[in-house]
Amino acid sequence: MKHSVNRPPTPDAAEDQGKEPTLQEIINVKLIESGEKERLMELLRERLIDCGWKDEMKALCRAHVKKKGRNNVTVDDLVHLITPKGRASVPDSVKAELLQRIRTFLMSAAL
Amino acid sequence: MSGPNEDNNTQLSSHIFGDLLDSIIVDVASECHRIAKLGLDRNLEEEEEEMRLSAQARARVADPSNSSETNTKYVVDIFGQTHPSVATEIFECMNCGRSIAAGRFAPHLEKCMGKGRKARLKVTRSSTAAQNRYSRGSPVSTYSPYSNSTSTNRLSNGTPSVAGEEYSNGTYEEPWNKT
Repeated sequence: MKHSVNRPPTPDAAEDQGKEPTLQEIINVKLIESGEKERLMELLRERLIDCGWKDEMKALCRAHVKKKGRNNVTVDDLVHLITPKGRASVPDSVKAELLQRIRTFLMSAAL
Repeated sequence: MSGPNEDNNTQLSSHIFGDLLDSIIVDVASECHRIAKLGLDRNLEEEEEEMRLSAQARARVADPSNSSETNTKYVVDIFGQTHPSVATEIFECMNCGRSIAAGRFAPHLEKCMGKGRKARLKVTRSSTAAQNRYSRGSPVSTYSPYSNSTSTNRLSNGTPSVAGEEYSNGTYEEPWNKT
């Protein structure tokens, strides 16, 4: 059974009015509206391709598919497969560059 | 310098970075999934299958029972087809208009166009003085008999016109090589 069947019910309008948006959410909205999130994503994508990270992940996927058979693999499988290794194998320089840019954005968008 | 704000910022940045990375991971997984399902990747299984087939074919070729006596007539290619040693498709010779088998075409052209004695006679008989000027002086010129015989017989575009005076688009033009 899909997880979506059991998801929590959508919060009513009444419940929502009492809540303040979190800092997280505010920042997220600012990121998206300014277009910075898109730019950051593209930058990260490019850096990960350049350093071979994407190829490593694709190789992992291909090996998994070969093992399980191509018709028995779901996107979920692959996501769960790649996530731990992916997060761990991002080069430090790439991570530093992105963090720097994000920090700069946060300071410029200081509330 | 350092304070709660600084830590907050760092934590927030890391969180945002994590979000970006997760999105990219999902993209990569989705792409690989698509490639796998559509069979776009030259999967190792398929490669193994092809290697097996090619090994089979190689074995068949190297097989001694296939050699010399049956070789020239019944040799089998990689698709399992046999071909006769002389190609049998029939073409029309553009020089003389005869129907010639493809496998006999080259020798026919030799005779028809210039190498043979009879062809050489055809050249000297039908070429004009102007044509001779263009030929390179050797009696076996391949260009002059060709352009000559087609100009008097028919247009290169195949329209059946009288003495080549009128083209298919209706304009009236004098062909340049009309004698």
